[in-house]
Amino acid sequence: MKRRTFLQGVVGTGLSSLLAENALAARNNTSIRFLRPPGALPEDEFVSRCIRCGKCGETCPNRCIKYFDLENGISSMDTPFIIPREQACILCMKCGDICPTGAIQPVIREMEPILEKVKMGVARVDRNLCLSWQGKTCGVCYRACPLADVAIRIGMLEQPHVLKDCVGCGLCERSCIQIPQAIRIIPDHIRKT
Amino acid sequence: MKEVWVIIQRHLNKLRWTVLTLIFSMLILLPFLHLYQTYEAAHAYDLLSPTEKSISDTMEWISKPFVHDPEVDLNNLKGTTWSGTLFGLKLSDPLAVVGQISAGKMVYWPFLVTALIPIFLTLLFGRFFCGWICPATFIYELNDNLATWLRKAGIPVGRKKLDFRLKYLVLLMGIIISAATGMIAFASMYPPALIGREIYYAIALSGFGSGMVFFLLTMLFDLMVSRRGFCRYVCPGGALYSLLGRFRLFRIKRDVTQCNDCAKCNVVCQFGLDPLRDNFTQECNNCTACIAVCPTDALSFTMSVKDIPNQGAGHLGHEYKRLHNIQDGES
Repeated sequence: MKRRTFLQGVVGTGLSSLLAENALAARNNTSIRFLRPPGALPEDEFVSRCIRCGKCGETCPNRCIKYFDLENGISSMDTPFIIPREQACILCMKCGDICPTGAIQPVIREMEPILEKVKMGVARVDRNLCLSWQGKTCGVCYRACPLADVAIRIGMLEQPHVLKDCVGCGLCERSCIQIPQAIRIIPDHIRKT
Repeated sequence: MKEVWVIIQRHLNKLRWTVLTLIFSMLILLPFLHLYQTYEAAHAYDLLSPTEKSISDTMEWISKPFVHDPEVDLNNLKGTTWSGTLFGLKLSDPLAVVGQISAGKMVYWPFLVTALIPIFLTLLFGRFFCGWICPATFIYELNDNLATWLRKAGIPVGRKKLDFRLKYLVLLMGIIISAATGMIAFASMYPPALIGREIYYAIALSGFGSGMVFFLLTMLFDLMVSRRGFCRYVCPGGALYSLLGRFRLFRIKRDVTQCNDCAKCNVVCQFGLDPLRDNFTQECNNCTACIAVCPTDALSFTMSVKDIPNQGAGHLGHEYKRLHNIQDGES
């Protein structure tokens, strides 16, 4: 191969991969199951809005917001995330108030605005693991839910049923006494709708 | 009156160091205050570990005179120099706004407004952020003192001169990369943003992230390649501030009748500028180190929107006397 063709190829591929949309598609293919803070914009928009100032984590009274290093790809470096099993969101909505760029939208801490604007994910129950579904009455997830009877309902033997209004704060996953957890949040950005 | 002004200017460098130290110590204090705030919010003092208890006690002692209800009142002071909240006043780095506009390809007005005060001050004072506010400058200047000691000890340090326009290229590349990938490329490589974040990670979260590695590399670059090399040749924020401060109102001027050509100003200038030949240009960060070191008080701030052209040799120096055939002893 001539040097010129080689260089043209290198430059061409570099430019096209930079400018094409597949540069966007290449992100977030990792297996980390994380949530964005409550009120966050959809994933792509969030990454381009967030200036990585770290104020959301600094204002979080529950210290649930942590920051990526390089483990989720370079594009989400230093962006905030929540691992609900470690520390879940208590829906205090302080991060949206302090976010300077609107990457996390400000949401009033009332039932209706939260149900309308917060979409971190949806809880899902693994009935093979869940104690209540296995006949040992538990109901911890229902008691932990800040939106009980709106986001989650219990039936016979305290068996949990997740409703469609679940905002995905992760308190049920945090509180689940089964190891591994029988209820977990499926994040909004990896959920197939 | 003029005498007082001269004395004030001579001590501006000390004021600058006080400001830099204050800002840096705030960056260290704020994560601790955040920890204290979360302990307060949890109402669980008895459950804290001994270390956490000592943090809580210390922070309570520090913040007690200023704070009535720590859980709420400490929200007034958040963030870093990249973007911070001061008692309801939100301030952001102009570079963050530039990066966000290029990455999101849209203008978010509430965010743009937060950068107006820094932009206005930059139009007045030029690159003052680099000399007076930037928390990375605090480290870099100490790093430069280290370089001086190394030099005295006989260890060679890099003093190369590169082209200062390199950083404008970095700024442009950063904008292009941000626009192409949809992430703000500056956020991960801009030292003041990075150092504030890393201090927060180290104190409140698990530990330093990989950004710290990059920061240490820039310090090594300063030691081994060029004096304050990152600020002068690479930093995209410095490039933006230089461009904004091109026609700044306040700039340092040499009074040629007072100057004795001692060239101490050129030695002390960490940005490698040439105050001796009036060559400040837009690169000057108004750090006032040259004013402080000047033995004849020839350098002072003046109001002018244009660069001052070379005024020639100082009237108290040998060169001027030789040119004008003045014998020693005459005045």
